[in-house]
Amino acid sequence: MRSLLSLIVFLFAVSVSAVSTTGNRLLAILDDVADKDNYSKFLGDLASRGFDLTFETPKSESLALFHLGERKYDHVIFFPTKTKGLGPNLTPNILVQFLNANGNVLVTLSSGVAAPNSLVSFLAELDIQLPADRTGLVVDHFNYDTASAADLHDVLLLPTPKTVRSDIKNIFGAAAPADSVIAFPRGVGAALGASELLTPIVRAPRNAYSYNPKEQAQVVDDLFAAGEQLSLVSSFQALNSARLVLLGSAELLQDKWFDEAEVTKVDGKKVKTYNREFAKRISAWTFQELGVLRVNWIEHHLSEEGAVNVSNPKIYRIKNKVSYTISLSEYTYDSWSAFNVPANDAIQLEFSMLSPFHRLALEFDKAHSTKDAAAYSAEFVLPDQHGIFNFKVNYKRPFLSNVEEKNTVSVRHMAHNEWPRSFAISGAWPWISGIGVTVVGWVAFCALWLYSAPPKGKKESKKTQ
Amino acid sequence: MRFTQSFAPALLLLAGVAQAASSWGFDDGTLSVVAKKGGAGVKEKINSKSPLSKPVTLGSTDTLKLILTATDNGKGKRPHQAFVVLKDQDTGLEAPFPLTVKESGKATVQISHKDLPVQFLLATEPLKASIVIGSFGSAKPLDTPVFNIKIETDSAVPPPAYEKPVRYGKKAEIHHIFRADPKSPPAVISIFFALAVVAALPALFISWLLLGANLNHLPKAIGASPVSHATFFGSIVAMEFVFFLYFTNWTLFQVLPVIIVVGAATVLSGSKALGEVQSRRLAGDR
Repeated sequence: MRSLLSLIVFLFAVSVSAVSTTGNRLLAILDDVADKDNYSKFLGDLASRGFDLTFETPKSESLALFHLGERKYDHVIFFPTKTKGLGPNLTPNILVQFLNANGNVLVTLSSGVAAPNSLVSFLAELDIQLPADRTGLVVDHFNYDTASAADLHDVLLLPTPKTVRSDIKNIFGAAAPADSVIAFPRGVGAALGASELLTPIVRAPRNAYSYNPKEQAQVVDDLFAAGEQLSLVSSFQALNSARLVLLGSAELLQDKWFDEAEVTKVDGKKVKTYNREFAKRISAWTFQELGVLRVNWIEHHLSEEGAVNVSNPKIYRIKNKVSYTISLSEYTYDSWSAFNVPANDAIQLEFSMLSPFHRLALEFDKAHSTKDAAAYSAEFVLPDQHGIFNFKVNYKRPFLSNVEEKNTVSVRHMAHNEWPRSFAISGAWPWISGIGVTVVGWVAFCALWLYSAPPKGKKESKKTQ
Repeated sequence: MRFTQSFAPALLLLAGVAQAASSWGFDDGTLSVVAKKGGAGVKEKINSKSPLSKPVTLGSTDTLKLILTATDNGKGKRPHQAFVVLKDQDTGLEAPFPLTVKESGKATVQISHKDLPVQFLLATEPLKASIVIGSFGSAKPLDTPVFNIKIETDSAVPPPAYEKPVRYGKKAEIHHIFRADPKSPPAVISIFFALAVVAALPALFISWLLLGANLNHLPKAIGASPVSHATFFGSIVAMEFVFFLYFTNWTLFQVLPVIIVVGAATVLSGSKALGEVQSRRLAGDR
């Protein structure tokens, strides 16, 4: 009965299966294909979301990320592999090419297995530093699972992810139950560079530190990184929105830490792990199922009274009032929905020629929004400078795919007959009356010259003058 | 049986006390600040119970030296983790400095300006220093604030440059500042001068009249050549009217053909009309 039910659930799951926005071909690199049994729930979740999984070992000869210059897979997961390198098919160069070709990568590490050189160089290319000698272990003597790591303190219990800044959407920890924790067993921490493309998803607690279990078993003398400087789960999103996540602990994804797994905090309290949902969200984000934005349409028009209301004209005049609207949707697992800007954040429109003349927040526009698309608009007066301008929306935020839209328009100067008439300008009145006086005087002079008789008796005196 | 029943919880309790009592701490904590060019430095005893009340000042050439003995349950022992963690109280930035620990638990660390991250050198509030001691096993780790450090930078040396890394987020809004509209003087002044200009016209007419201006030859001229005089004078007035229309709403290419027509009329009628004026002059009437 139970198996029948699970079969029905499975079929239902397949029928409503979500597909990532960039494709469903997923390659998993494992040392031994049999290892995948440890991750059966995680991989089962992926399959039920519609991914088409292929398993390969780094030694496999058929392994190739590209075929005839096209990507063969849309996403890659690296599980820990014992080999020192990853062979000629997974060089750092090929992996960078894979990111450049919009492929997504999920890298998992484990402190028991030294990270392959190829991955270390690849991550260094993205400004992610791993501990020296490719091995490290994160421990925290203040915050560990007393049930499974009473002595070694290497199973960290991490609070569910919270956003550091108030203007970022909490994608990874939004649905977490109040007192659940992420069990982070035997993981490796990384140090991130200052690049804006890198964002830590989970940082280490303040007293955690990373050490080399082989050389620093007695005492930590040379510290790689500690506390919040140590990133346990890190994300990288390239300018083309290709994503990479470095998950410090592959064991986090194993069945034994999923679902019913209970861990004991240092104060003796038993809590459930958040690992399954966290693994789902991490993989969904990496493989472009979460936090993907789409621009549906962009419209701008003259917003003056009595003007013709043509959409997206090529030319405007200086000081025209113009309105601009952009429609955005966000993908969540299997459907597009209206994108709501997080509180304290704003989508900004720049009106720029070389540098922005205006940078304005776009307001939510209810009239043009639908259930699966939110419109944002702004109305403003064009600058008093003619030239070639761009309407530019450059919305790049951590954990959201990049939106960069540019619409070019000409802005012309005033035509001679668009200025106020001279009689409307009070300063011109003396000059206008001067012209009037000249005209009347000229006509009168003509009449006088043509028709005037010489004044009587003054002929002589006039001639002498 | 009864005895064991009452004894077991007591044993458990004892065990619990024993476990709780096993905790990390430190003894003989000494903090000293040594200036590079000799001079009497500061030397203070520190303990884990109460932090120093006054912040310690660390100058740009000084070295802060911290010596302590890590203890597990009162006995000197080497812990795996022995850090001094400095914290910028404004930003929350923390930097750990591992202590060099001997087998006996004796641990030392030296901190000078060059070891500190640049953000700390620019901190306005004193840095909060905590000692963190922990190790494997069941002993309770220690994390306690012990003193504050005030970073004093050399006023002769320019402060180190620190540029915040770029982070994606909303930027400051920009609103274009428009050039000021052209301004007119007060309307009263314009009206005054406009009236002054207009007043010139009656002044001209009156002075002409005083000099004896008249239109007495008009009947004679009309009688001699009525058509050409009417056309000539009419075309002069019409030309001014065309200019007026050009000023109000006509365009250049509307005006040009009309000017040509009116101009031709002026030239053709002008030769006759002006001939008549000449004949009057030759007759001695003018």
